[in-house]
Amino acid sequence: MTHYIKRITQYTMGNFRFNVKIKELVSIKETTKLEMEDFMKKILVAILAIVLLFALAACSESEETTAPVTLEIRSNIPGAGNDAIREVIAAFTEETGIAVDFDNPSGYEDLMRTRMATGDMPDLFTTHGWAVIRYGTFLRPLNDQPWVSRVSSQIESIVTDHQGNLMVLPVDIDIAGLVFNRDILNEVGVDPGDIRTWDDFADACELILAAGYIPIFIGGADDWMLGQAADWIPPSLLITYDGDNHRDALLDGTFDWNHYGRFVDMLTDWIDRGFFNEDVTTADYDTLTRMLGQGEVAFSFTGNHAAMDAAGNGPANIGMMPLPAYFAGDTPSLIAGESVTFGIWKDTPHEAEALLFLEFIARPENVAKIAQARGNVAGFNGVEVDLGFLTQDFNRWSNIRTFPYFDRVYLPGGMWEDLCNTSLGLFNGTMTRQAVIDHMQQSYDSRLADWFEARGIN
Amino acid sequence: MRSRKRINLFYIPVLILFGVFVVYPFIDGIRISFTNWNGFLPTYNYIGLTNYINMVSDQWFHNVFRNTIIYGFGSTIIQQIIGLSMALFLDSKFKARGLVRTISYLPIMIAPLIMGYIIFFIVQFRGGALNDLVGLFGMDRLDWVGVPNRAVTVILLVNSLQYMGVSMVIYLAGLQNIPNMYKEAASVDGIGPWNTFWHITLPLLAPALSASVVINLIGGLKLFDIIRALSPAAPSSGTHSLVTFLTYQYFNIEQAGYSAAIGVVTFAFILIVSIVVIKLLDKMEVVL
Repeated sequence: MTHYIKRITQYTMGNFRFNVKIKELVSIKETTKLEMEDFMKKILVAILAIVLLFALAACSESEETTAPVTLEIRSNIPGAGNDAIREVIAAFTEETGIAVDFDNPSGYEDLMRTRMATGDMPDLFTTHGWAVIRYGTFLRPLNDQPWVSRVSSQIESIVTDHQGNLMVLPVDIDIAGLVFNRDILNEVGVDPGDIRTWDDFADACELILAAGYIPIFIGGADDWMLGQAADWIPPSLLITYDGDNHRDALLDGTFDWNHYGRFVDMLTDWIDRGFFNEDVTTADYDTLTRMLGQGEVAFSFTGNHAAMDAAGNGPANIGMMPLPAYFAGDTPSLIAGESVTFGIWKDTPHEAEALLFLEFIARPENVAKIAQARGNVAGFNGVEVDLGFLTQDFNRWSNIRTFPYFDRVYLPGGMWEDLCNTSLGLFNGTMTRQAVIDHMQQSYDSRLADWFEARGIN
Repeated sequence: MRSRKRINLFYIPVLILFGVFVVYPFIDGIRISFTNWNGFLPTYNYIGLTNYINMVSDQWFHNVFRNTIIYGFGSTIIQQIIGLSMALFLDSKFKARGLVRTISYLPIMIAPLIMGYIIFFIVQFRGGALNDLVGLFGMDRLDWVGVPNRAVTVILLVNSLQYMGVSMVIYLAGLQNIPNMYKEAASVDGIGPWNTFWHITLPLLAPALSASVVINLIGGLKLFDIIRALSPAAPSSGTHSLVTFLTYQYFNIEQAGYSAAIGVVTFAFILIVSIVVIKLLDKMEVVL
């Protein structure tokens, strides 16, 4: 063996332009040219034999039709929803024999961006609100699937692109509003149904503050909570009122961001009146759910998952209510968007198995299991979900209008972070009203071209 | 002479790895800095120097650049002062000297991200140890890292204190290499401790000073983990360094081209600062 290593080293050295001082490491005797040629022939034959061996192995593999398939599925869904998904996947594997490599990694969005950049996507993945704009070009349209006719009209348009392609299977729908502590509102004598405008809301906050509670809690350490407030309030100022709205201007790129000043003024007024927790910029989500559950906080701009988490954190009564209107002539509204969705990578080598998985997920019992764990209504017609303590609120607000998440429809991709950034800037004083407006205008303008392209607008 | 032009064959694996993981990404990063790539879509356009020009008018970039200088030079200065003081103290003989040396060096063993979270538990508004302490004196609690300037100060101090052990070890090694005869001669000539330190110890510590300054400076200019642990991701937190800002641009707001341009500027900045500082310190060593 040592002899061959020496020979290989000798030949390699002879053919490289680099003359290596290998003699200091292994003493090698001079080899004649004939010996070297003979040796090289042997090496060449050996390499050819190895290459043929691999080629044959590859052929035999490609002819193998019964090779087990493992579907790679990635999800961003945490907590109870994740547990329910895992249970459904286990049942799928048991029934079909198709193995699933499933994970819900932290830093999901960063991971998916990297995988999109490298063109190596999971077979199936969740799209967390971005089925159309961000992930659309990577997804296989699903219009030809047998379960499509059962998809709820409330979510269908949100996950359908401008060409009419249904991009994902929507397991449930995130219908959300303000999460509130019912005990505190009862104590100060405010009925959530009476809060019809933001002025009513501010009046309620004054009462709550006077009673010694924190009216609104935001945790900037998890800065999505800052973004959520900036995502949920502006629709009432710019979208929901037929008598005064900027829907078309936002969509066609002509929106004047000075109108966003309405939101900035409202937020600044609330900050000045002391409606927020003192540690807005550094508090986190866990602190919110603890304080909401223990009856120290009245309102939060979070999804229903916060209601579920808060309920597990204390004895308080937690509820959900619509977002108030800005204009006196307008009415309150709820936010609707993607929750748990599964899409198939358009270049997946396991398309048949992936479609089979979606068919399995679409079964009513599986949809109900996941939706219930998330505290959301189902994304399919005719699927009943027990929403526990939120049932009374869902029933009470069943006739309230829903609007999509502001940034997902009316803002170009990437502007969610601008909402988080500018809100934080208002709270910690690093941004003025005009700086916020200028920042939003500049970011919006710079992203229009890509946004129009994603929506098929020339 | 001939052998100098040749290369050892055993360098090749390392050169390949260096090429694949350092040279290629670096060159490709420069290329991306001239595009408007969003970081994930396969299509993008070349936009010339636009990303570099935008940097000039970007108020966040100005703030981030200022912070980076504070983290880099501020940490270096604090670390030299504390590190040298600790080294002088630990160079003397006293009981449990080994234990004190170990404790002084211990913070370096902690990953900076973990250190950031530990400090967050100390300075956080609700339930933070520091606010509990403040409360004992009847003072109002503070959101220590909630205001940009205060947060930058906390980050600067945490980084300085965590890595002062590096300076301490370097200076200690330098001190132990100074022959005692110089100090003894000074003592015989009646030179006081301050003059001995200023005219004998410090000049002989010049090589250690150079090494310590350069290591701490580069570390400070590249600061990342502690900032992420102690402040929100958005740049309006006012605490970003160049490195955290470029990751924010890439991963959060989908501006990979701009992010790459910031990366190139960061590289050039650290390179220039390091070269200038090394040259200055070399000159200083000669003067001393």
